[in-house]
Amino acid sequence: MEPIIEVKNLTKKFNGFTAVDNISFEIKEGEILGLLGPNGAGKTTTIDILLGLTKQTSGEVRIFDLPFEKNREKILKQMNFSAAYVNLPWRLKVFENLYTFARLYEVDDYKKKVDQLLEEFKIFHLKNKMTNDLSSGQLTSLYLCKAFINNPRLLLLDEPTVFLDPDVADLTKRFILKKVKEEKTTVLFTSHNMAEITELCNRVIFLSHGKIIAEDTPVGLAQKIKTCKVRLLFSVSQEKVDSLLTNYGYQYSLEGNEIVIELEENKIGQILGRLSLAKLKYSQITIEKPTLEDFFLKVTRGKI
Amino acid sequence: MSFKRIYAIIIRHLYIWPRSLERWQGSLGWPLLGLISWGMTMSFFQKNSSFGFSIVAFLLGGVIFWEFTSISQREISVNFLDEAWNKNLINIFSTPTTAGEFLLASVILGLIKLTVTMFIMLSGAVIFYKFNIFSLYSLYLPFLIANLLMFGLSFGFIINGLIIRFGYGAQELAWALLAWVSPFSCIYYPLSSIPSWAQKIGLMLPSTYIFEEMRRVIMTGSMNLSNLFVSFSLNIIYLILALLFFRWMFENAREHGRLVKLN
Repeated sequence: MEPIIEVKNLTKKFNGFTAVDNISFEIKEGEILGLLGPNGAGKTTTIDILLGLTKQTSGEVRIFDLPFEKNREKILKQMNFSAAYVNLPWRLKVFENLYTFARLYEVDDYKKKVDQLLEEFKIFHLKNKMTNDLSSGQLTSLYLCKAFINNPRLLLLDEPTVFLDPDVADLTKRFILKKVKEEKTTVLFTSHNMAEITELCNRVIFLSHGKIIAEDTPVGLAQKIKTCKVRLLFSVSQEKVDSLLTNYGYQYSLEGNEIVIELEENKIGQILGRLSLAKLKYSQITIEKPTLEDFFLKVTRGKI
Repeated sequence: MSFKRIYAIIIRHLYIWPRSLERWQGSLGWPLLGLISWGMTMSFFQKNSSFGFSIVAFLLGGVIFWEFTSISQREISVNFLDEAWNKNLINIFSTPTTAGEFLLASVILGLIKLTVTMFIMLSGAVIFYKFNIFSLYSLYLPFLIANLLMFGLSFGFIINGLIIRFGYGAQELAWALLAWVSPFSCIYYPLSSIPSWAQKIGLMLPSTYIFEEMRRVIMTGSMNLSNLFVSFSLNIIYLILALLFFRWMFENAREHGRLVKLN
C-alpha cells in the first residue's frame, strides 16, 4: 500500500530554535496516526508544514505520492484540517461559513453536503445563527463540519475534541472511525486526551523537543513502561504500612486514603505476601496496568 | 486560477458588508463626508474670491479622484486584515486557494465596493455642487481612473506584504502609508507650487501626473497625453514590483511561520 504521507528528514528552525528536528515518518491509507508530545514538542509545526502554511528548513514532504511544494493545489484539494486554535469568521452565519469553504474546495452540490454534515454533527438547528453566538462546543462541531466538507482523503486534526462535551466528543470519534472504515480516510491526529488516542489511533509517534523519540501502537508504547501501580486501602495504622514499605525499599505515594505502590508486575505477588506476613490487612486493592498516559508522563518528566 | 475560489472569497466578504456598520462608514461615510466638507469650504472660498476658474471643481475633482486610489488600496488591505483578525488566514491558505487568487478576489471586491462608493459620491457632487466629472472629463475619464486604481492596487499589495511579514505591528499602514504619499501626489495644488525636493518625489508617483492632467482639463479643456503615458508606464513598473514584493513577503512569512501566528 502506497503511503499517503511521506516525511523524510524534516527540519524546521525559527531563528536558531529547532522546532522540528530531522524527523521521518509515513502514514498509510486508512491509518489513524496519533502525534503525541508535550507542548512545544513540534506537533503543530509539523501539521503546519504538512498544510503548506509553514515552509520547512530542510527535508522532503510527499503527500499522495507527490512532492508537496510543486503540487500544493492538487494535494490541498484532497486534504482538510481542524484545530482548536483556529477560528472561522465570527460575523458570518454558520451556513455562510460552510458554503464559503465548500466553494474554496470546489465541492459539487455543496448545499446538500452542508445540511448533511450539520445533521450528522447535531448542529442543524444552528444553520442560520451567527458564528459569534455559538458556544465553544458548538464552534468545535462547526470546525469539524468544515473539516469534512470536501470528503478529504487526508485529514489533519489538531486537538479537535478539546472543547467538546463527552457526548459530542464521542459522536466525533465515531464519525472519524466511520469515515476511515467506509472511505479509507487517512487521519493525523493530535490530542492531549490519551484515552482518545488509545481508542482511535492505529499507531502513535511521540515527539519531544522536535524529535521522534518513540513510535509504536498505543498499547506498545504503554508496554514500554515496566512498572504497574498497586492501589491499596488499609484499615490498619498507616505508620506500620509506611515502615514496611520503606524497609523493603518500595516506591510509593499517598493519594487520598490510598497508598499507591509502583513496582514491576512480577513483584505484585511478593508484596502481597509480605503484607500478609506482617498482618497488614487491606480492605481494597486495585492493580493498574501502565497506560499511554503513564508513558506520556514518564517521557515528559524525563524518567524514560 | 480557480474562479470558484475567487468567487468564494468575494462572496464571503459581501455576506458581511451589508451588516457591517464600520464597512459602510469606510466605503460611503468617510468619502461622502470628505465631499461635503471640502465642497462647502470651497463654495465659501469661491464666493469670496476672484479666481478665474472653478475652485470647487479643482478641489472636488481631487477629493473624488483620490478616492479611486485610496479605496482600491484600503479594500485590499482591510479585507486581508479582516481575515487575519478572524484568524482565518490559516483556514484560507490550507485550502487550495493561492495567494494570487486571494489578491485577485480582493481587487474585484474593491472594484465592486468602489462602484457603489463612486455612484454615491458622484451623485452627491452633481446634486450638491453641480460638479459632473463625466461631462468634464468625458473620454479621458477611463484613463485617469485606471491609472489611479493601478496606483492604489500597488500600494495595497505592498501594504499586505508588509502586514503578512511583520504582523499586526504593520496594520496601521493600511490607513497611513498612502496618506504619507498624498502630499507629494499634488491632489489639491499644482506640482510647481511645492518645493523642488518634493517635486522630485512627486514626479516618481503616477498619481501626480494624473492630478496635473485633471487640473489641465479644468483650465484648458485639453490633456497632455504624454503625461498619461508616463503615469501608465510608472504604474506598470510599480504594479509588477508590488506583486513581486508581496510574493516575496508571502514566502518569507511561510518561512517564519507568520501565516499561522500573525502577531
